[in-house]
Amino acid sequence: MAGGPRKIRLWDPLLRGFHWSLAFFVILSWCLGQFGPAKMTLHFWSGYAITGLLIFRLVWGFVGPAPARFSHFLRGPGAIRDYASHMFLRQPSYWPGHNPLGALSVIAMLAVLAAQVTTGLISDPDDYINVGPLAKYVASSTRSTAVGLHELGANLILLLVVLHIAMILFYRYWKHEDLVTPMLTGEKELPEEIARAIGGDRPTPEGERTGR
Amino acid sequence: MRLILTAAAIAALPLTVLAQDDDPIHQAVEARHGFYQMLAINMGTLAGMAKGDIAYDEAAASTAAANIEALTKYNLPSLFIEGSESGKAEDSAAKPDIWANLDDFRAKFAGLGEAATGASEAVKGGAENVGPVVGKLGEACKACHDKYREKS
Repeated sequence: MAGGPRKIRLWDPLLRGFHWSLAFFVILSWCLGQFGPAKMTLHFWSGYAITGLLIFRLVWGFVGPAPARFSHFLRGPGAIRDYASHMFLRQPSYWPGHNPLGALSVIAMLAVLAAQVTTGLISDPDDYINVGPLAKYVASSTRSTAVGLHELGANLILLLVVLHIAMILFYRYWKHEDLVTPMLTGEKELPEEIARAIGGDRPTPEGERTGR
Repeated sequence: MRLILTAAAIAALPLTVLAQDDDPIHQAVEARHGFYQMLAINMGTLAGMAKGDIAYDEAAASTAAANIEALTKYNLPSLFIEGSESGKAEDSAAKPDIWANLDDFRAKFAGLGEAATGASEAVKGGAENVGPVVGKLGEACKACHDKYREKS
């Protein structure tokens, strides 16, 4: 068998739906917060949508298909160091999923978004039109601290999103590896021997069925 | 002798308290907080009625709105004296940007005055008339808070 490329199924449809919905609502929330109308009803609803998406991702991280599971992509410091050490090689990583370093970014993104949702829910900026629905359950000093943290969180999210896009460009142009297509189609092209080494997964109809 | 010294020390105690009370910066910050507190109490009444948390009462709504109208006629920016910004004055949440943009800061406060104009009449006639007034006032609150209030 030649080492030709073979497509493996990587990201399941729900995970892809989650990813692009999250991207959409995070950008929407951020822009509404920054440039939106003073009455932030839409920002609130967009935030609720993100809350739902985060809950889904948390659950999916335990019960979803292997590439979506935390246990599958969260690795120890050794694996992270190992991955980082040849990250700058000008060749594709062919990593079937979140690589050990990227996994940290996934966790950072989810944690910052969860914190952002929390501070948003309890924020009270003292304008009587945009009061977080859970603000009344916390102390008034917490309510106003939350406003400051929510603003800090928006900056952190911007930073993480910029890093995310920068890394995609780095993989695309430095490592010649396309990370976007797999997130759109769910399929990633791997050399035959790598695909086989990782268990082959289910080959797609246009792939070689015999590989199973 | 010791008695006299002790007596003098005790007698001097209120002076240190007085000294803080006399400090114009401390006074200005206190006065600002009192101002916002009065604003908050009346805004709370209107916002509560708009949301239905408080039963609508035309007289109470109109009084709260009239109080806000009156408060916004006070020259609040005059309380933002030099040296009363956060970091310099205790308890102050006033961003130093205020003093770099005094005209804009005054315009923001004038914006609150405009939003309040006619509020005591506008809130009459039913709970559904309170929401738009709260919306206008809240927008003016937010415009200034976003730019000039320190987020702790």
